[in-house]
Amino acid sequence: MDADSDVALDILITNVVCVFRTRCHLNLRKIALEGANVIYKHDVGKVLMKLRKPRITATIWSSGKIICTGATSEEEAKFGARRLARSLQKLGFQVIFTDFKVVNVLAVCNMPFEIRLPEFTKNNRPHASYEPELHPAVCYRIKSLRATLQIFSTGSITVTGPNVKAVATAVKQIYPFVFESRKEIL
Amino acid sequence: MPGGGHCPDCGSTELVEDSHYSQSQLVCSDCGCVVTEGVLTTTFSDEGNLREVTYSRSTGENEQVSRSQQRGLRRVRDLCRVLQLPSTFEDTAVAYYQQAYRHSGIRAARLQKKEVLVGCCVLITCRQHNWPLTMGTICTLLYADLDVFSGTYMQIVKLLGLDVPSLCLADLVKTYCSSFRLFQASPSVPAKYVEDKEKMVSRTLQLVELADETWLVTGRHPLPVITAATFLAWQSLQPSERLTCSLARFCKLANVDLPCPASSRLQELLAVLLRMAEQLAWLQVLRLDKRSVVKHIGDLLQHRHTLVRKAFRDGPAESEAGEEEQQGRGQGPGQGKEEVASSSLDLPKGKRPASPALLLPPCMLKPPKRVCPPPPISTATGDEDISDSEIEQYLRTPQEVRDFQKAQAARQAATGVSNPP
Repeated sequence: MDADSDVALDILITNVVCVFRTRCHLNLRKIALEGANVIYKHDVGKVLMKLRKPRITATIWSSGKIICTGATSEEEAKFGARRLARSLQKLGFQVIFTDFKVVNVLAVCNMPFEIRLPEFTKNNRPHASYEPELHPAVCYRIKSLRATLQIFSTGSITVTGPNVKAVATAVKQIYPFVFESRKEIL
Repeated sequence: MPGGGHCPDCGSTELVEDSHYSQSQLVCSDCGCVVTEGVLTTTFSDEGNLREVTYSRSTGENEQVSRSQQRGLRRVRDLCRVLQLPSTFEDTAVAYYQQAYRHSGIRAARLQKKEVLVGCCVLITCRQHNWPLTMGTICTLLYADLDVFSGTYMQIVKLLGLDVPSLCLADLVKTYCSSFRLFQASPSVPAKYVEDKEKMVSRTLQLVELADETWLVTGRHPLPVITAATFLAWQSLQPSERLTCSLARFCKLANVDLPCPASSRLQELLAVLLRMAEQLAWLQVLRLDKRSVVKHIGDLLQHRHTLVRKAFRDGPAESEAGEEEQQGRGQGPGQGKEEVASSSLDLPKGKRPASPALLLPPCMLKPPKRVCPPPPISTATGDEDISDSEIEQYLRTPQEVRDFQKAQAARQAATGVSNPP
């Protein structure tokens, strides 16, 4: 059985992390008092704000830098970030939505076969790292895409990359290698 | 040689630019007479332009071996001696430590990390020479935390760009088995428990190979599997006397620590052996259970390759349960396999051989119960009030209204022009 190029694999994006800047200083105390769904972490100096509509948790720093996590797609992340900027505007700050960037995308993919990890590591020597004493999965790094894949023996693969396209390319690249080392009895 | 200059003493033109410490001098290479010299001290105004260089930025750090580095190198040699490693290993480990120390991240690290770095260098050396040394052993010797050790280890492998081969299982089995104190009778070890080393090691190796084939080793810490395999090997060599001894007691007798997962690995290994036993005709009638199968481990291991092939199926196969399983795979990995595993577990009592089970990693055979959240009941009718924050999404700004009107007009004009006959 050859590795077909038209095998449809479902890549499920579980988390998208993005950052943006409001070009103004934010008074965390005011946000904590007047904002809805906020948690003020005074010791660290940040405010956590949770949105319901796109399920997003935002970390707001007083310098105006905001990190949003929890979205399930890049568009949703942008939509949530804009919503957040809007609600900060409502609170009275002179917010300008700038420097929006998707920083990290985490996705999960399931292969329809089990994978022999020691064999896979041997065949993919410099990129793959397998330490069964520390972690049950093989850590495969693709430098060109800046993506990291964690390959488990059950066939489940967790991919993290800078954007959705890189993640999809990474899965496409890894499929033939993983297919080679799939389980076959004896 | 500067043009036009000659020594006032001997008259030669061989003048050399040489400096005596920080003073530049022009010296005759024949008689050594100093012809001219530069200024030794700097003036106050010159000194005002000078910048102070901290020790960490100067090159002094790389030229000298600091005290903490010396301590670290001593620790590396001590650790190699404690582990009784060959002398070549010592030199390699020391070289790795020095190489690591050149990186600023390591030089400025805490003492705890530098201590753990000693263990990392020794571990990398052993792995490269296929010497079976586990991280657990090093952590115990250094009184270090495994988390700190793993972080430093991954960092140093990346920093030095090393290719570290994986732990060799066969060598680890031999070393670990030899550490069991069961090869000679002593006050704590009765004669019936004493076993021959060669026989035990070879049987343990076979059991570990079997575990490797049946997904019990992949992704897991190797030591508990080896402990369970050693226990089974020891029991099976004289089952009549040893069946009453438990795993915990065995480890206590052998003076070896019992790792926590070893008992679950033991159960998994026994389950695999039971499955294999069902394929042997003369064992089917005996209706074996987890205790009695130990007596037949010798036979099972002799024919293990054929038995594993017969006892376990490899994905969509020729049996009638194969189609069921294919459908199951289409539905979704967790659900489908649960169905098939349960169907293959209904063993028909009687002469018919059991249908082959799926050879899968144990975590897939018992998928965790996932609580499916009930679908949210949406009672949206469309007549609800829109909050102020959401109203902007539904209203157009004046600019947008103008743009829309312009676009509409353009479209009308376009359809008016290109009206098909």
